[in-house]
Amino acid sequence: MPSNQAPPVGRSRRQMVMGLLTIAPALLLILGLILYPVTYSIWLSLLEKHSFFPQERFIGLENFVYLWSDSEFWTSFWLGVVYSFWTILFQLILGVAAALVLNESFVGRGLVRGIVLFPYMIPTIVAVILWKWLLNDTYGVVNYWLLALGIVRDPISFLGTEHIMLSTIVMSVWQFFPFVLLSVLARLQTIPEELYEAAKVDGATPVRRFLHITLPQIRGILFVVILLRSIWMFTKFDTVWLMGEGAGAGRYIRTLPVYAYMRTLTYYQAGLGAAIAVIMFAILIVSTVIYFGLFREEADIG
Amino acid sequence: MNRWRVRHISTRGLLYGGALLLVLQAAFPFFWMVSTSFKPPTEVFAQPPSFIPQDATWDNFHRLFTTTNFLTYFWNSLIVSGLAVLLTMVVSAAGAYSLTRYRYPGREQIAVLILCTYMFAPIMVVIPFFILVKKVGIENTHFALVLALTSFCLPFTLWLLRAFFQTIPIELEEAAMVDGAGRLRAVIYVVLPLALPGIIATSIFTFILAWNDFIFTRILIAADELKTLPVGVQDLFHSALTDWGLIMGAGVMITIPALLFFMTVQRYLIRGWGAGAVKG
Repeated sequence: MPSNQAPPVGRSRRQMVMGLLTIAPALLLILGLILYPVTYSIWLSLLEKHSFFPQERFIGLENFVYLWSDSEFWTSFWLGVVYSFWTILFQLILGVAAALVLNESFVGRGLVRGIVLFPYMIPTIVAVILWKWLLNDTYGVVNYWLLALGIVRDPISFLGTEHIMLSTIVMSVWQFFPFVLLSVLARLQTIPEELYEAAKVDGATPVRRFLHITLPQIRGILFVVILLRSIWMFTKFDTVWLMGEGAGAGRYIRTLPVYAYMRTLTYYQAGLGAAIAVIMFAILIVSTVIYFGLFREEADIG
Repeated sequence: MNRWRVRHISTRGLLYGGALLLVLQAAFPFFWMVSTSFKPPTEVFAQPPSFIPQDATWDNFHRLFTTTNFLTYFWNSLIVSGLAVLLTMVVSAAGAYSLTRYRYPGREQIAVLILCTYMFAPIMVVIPFFILVKKVGIENTHFALVLALTSFCLPFTLWLLRAFFQTIPIELEEAAMVDGAGRLRAVIYVVLPLALPGIIATSIFTFILAWNDFIFTRILIAADELKTLPVGVQDLFHSALTDWGLIMGAGVMITIPALLFFMTVQRYLIRGWGAGAVKG
């Protein structure tokens, strides 16, 4: 931490110049390549613009008016809500359960932790081709097992219109719950052992120990994890896009990010695509503010 | 006493059972990928499937290297990720040093601004980015891709390195400077060695993010000879839709570098996580 005494006057000017010089490259990149594009997309959302040709025409809020009455937009919004809700719910349940297991000491714990975290580190394209192969309707090993064990009579078309949402949710939970696991585990390891020993002496059951000791301790980190996962799942593009590519059965997992991408790069309506991105942004900001309001206490802990 | 022992054994059993399930769900898909990649085409589609290849062959890998552009994609991925790591680390180390060592008006606001941009998702940035890059005329270059990946990684590398730099006592540097070392020497000989674990961990996180990136590459790169692995393999998947042996071989080849980096960084993970390390 910086020391507390104020530096001499001559030094403070030099401090300022050097400080600004060293932060400048990072600040320029963030301003120029993140904040400026995001601001520009607000302007873009007010234009009618072809994605590849320079012509553009200012049309005010027409893109937003169009989206309001666009049934595909509302379907995408709803599919995104379904996808985010279920993936986040199961990531949390599995992540916390797995963290509780890995917080105990047993032989080979380090290795188990490494293996369990690994799916989070691989490129999404690998996760997608892996699961498409496992779930293949004719040659997939999952269908083979289901048939061999007599659970189903005919192979299930996991990537067909009826099941593709379910398959994408399962795959996403598999890929992303390690994030919850590691965040919770890092927090669990800081809980003093004495708390549990005292509760054991009082005869508290494992369930009660979880509810009354563990849960209050991990509330703060859960607050942060739910916030981050919600933002990332709601705006998740690559997983959903690579699973369905927007067409065929992919229509049934066409969430808002996919829809924004398709408007821009399939239909070449950059203005409309930007408008969808702006709406997503607005939804996130409003939800985050509400979330902080609802869980003020946890926000302080987190 | 006896009842207590039985209960103890059954909780241990439950624990090992849980650990086993966790390992199986994570490892089986990868095992299946490796197994398929060594099978000849007839065995790939055999029913019932064989778990260990009966006629193990390198054929899939051989075809991957000779009949597709896989090696070009691999090389592009290495170059782009390497350059992105280099640029990100130089810029964010300087920035993190500034945020922890110099005092100037607006410093805390800058830190908050960086934390806010950490929450931006790529999909919100890429659409305007695509239009702007075309306006400037640098679409279809690795240069644009490296810049895009760098600025996308910056918020979290800055945040992470700032946390690492904060743990290094400023008195050590001051002592070195009092002893006649200039600030640059103090940084090189005192700060950087102490921050090295943090710098290594941060660069590997950056590498994994760049290596895994799909969306920036998809939007910025159209020429086949410039594509990186995730985009190249997606196109391969389209053109070789039923050649599962080949596709699983490609999957194995992309996973190996990720696995190597993951193994190096694993021990830093928990520590980095506390500071909010990985995004996705």
